[in-house]
Amino acid sequence: MVYQAKPEAPGTLTQAEFDAGAGFLTTTRDTLVNWGRRNSLWPFPFGTACCAIEFMGTVSSVFDISRFGAELVRFSPRQSDLLLIAGTVTYKQAPILRRIYDQMCEPKWVIAAGACACTGGFYDCYCTVPGIDEIIPVDIYVAGCPPRPEAFLEAVVQLQDNIDRERLDVKKAIS
Amino acid sequence: MSDEQVSDQVEEQVQEPSADDVLAGELSELFALQLDRLAQWDLCLIAESDNFIDVLRYLRDKKSFAVLLDITAVDYLSFPGHRDERFAVVYLLKNLETCQRICIKVMVEEDEARLQTVCRLWKNANWLEREVFDQYGIHFQGHPNLKRILNHHQFVGHPLRKDYPVQKRQKLSVNDPMLDQLHQRLEENGYIIIEEAKPGESIQFGEQA
Repeated sequence: MVYQAKPEAPGTLTQAEFDAGAGFLTTTRDTLVNWGRRNSLWPFPFGTACCAIEFMGTVSSVFDISRFGAELVRFSPRQSDLLLIAGTVTYKQAPILRRIYDQMCEPKWVIAAGACACTGGFYDCYCTVPGIDEIIPVDIYVAGCPPRPEAFLEAVVQLQDNIDRERLDVKKAIS
Repeated sequence: MSDEQVSDQVEEQVQEPSADDVLAGELSELFALQLDRLAQWDLCLIAESDNFIDVLRYLRDKKSFAVLLDITAVDYLSFPGHRDERFAVVYLLKNLETCQRICIKVMVEEDEARLQTVCRLWKNANWLEREVFDQYGIHFQGHPNLKRILNHHQFVGHPLRKDYPVQKRQKLSVNDPMLDQLHQRLEENGYIIIEEAKPGESIQFGEQA
């Protein structure tokens, strides 16, 4: 009869290794939580104009926003933590946008994509909100009319950098 | 091309009146309408506020101008050389058989800013007149539901008037519920409203100026 010892399952530690502290990683609580948050952003697209078409391109396979962990687009504010305003917002829509923002659970972030969402764009008129930061706080502004998908990705990466610097013991200023 | 040939061509054009000229002559004879000399594209006639509905009905029923393309208005405040009434309400009609278009203009005084509705002639006049009311503040008498259509219900003033401040912004603090129209449409479709929405039931958001 030929036999051999049952090999140990890979990844398990011997008692000696465990006692020596192997398999542990020290980090801070903030780093760990922020690492989780930054890599699983769930965007809510508030698309009202052509910028939303660019966002569709950003989600699709060519640009692939899922490389940054933000591909799970949700159409319920209660399931999302990244509000992405892509397009023109009028005063008539403003309470709706505000309500959607209020319905999102903490933590939440906002990206204003495109000239209209940032500043009102060329709609310098009686009916257009001159920048959604009049209505809700904004974390990242994306320039462009409309912005290229690369700009959307840049915004996500910048937002991830911002999230990395957040601290759990300091409450984020939201209005 | 010599000068003689050019003058010949001009004479030919004068001798053969276009369909627009024929129509203009007919309407001027029937309703004593004036031709708007400033109009650059289509035939444009100026009607009086007491007979313009007759003109429109005549065009719709007798001349096959079946489509009301648009109703809009002009604010002549500070228009160079303009001395008459401040506003003009403009009705654009299209004839689907001859592809002719005609523009009927009615001058409206600033003080009253009233005009009869044409909702009974064309159904789409309902929303078009609401838009003119919203943007210019011209009241259409006999309109079934004359309220703002584009601007929100807290909006004060009429933004397309020339004296509306360009930089003025007006925030909306509550949702535009449009519940009255929802009720009406539900009832039209055979539903029964068990409990009406209370006035002011819409949700208040944050601080508003």
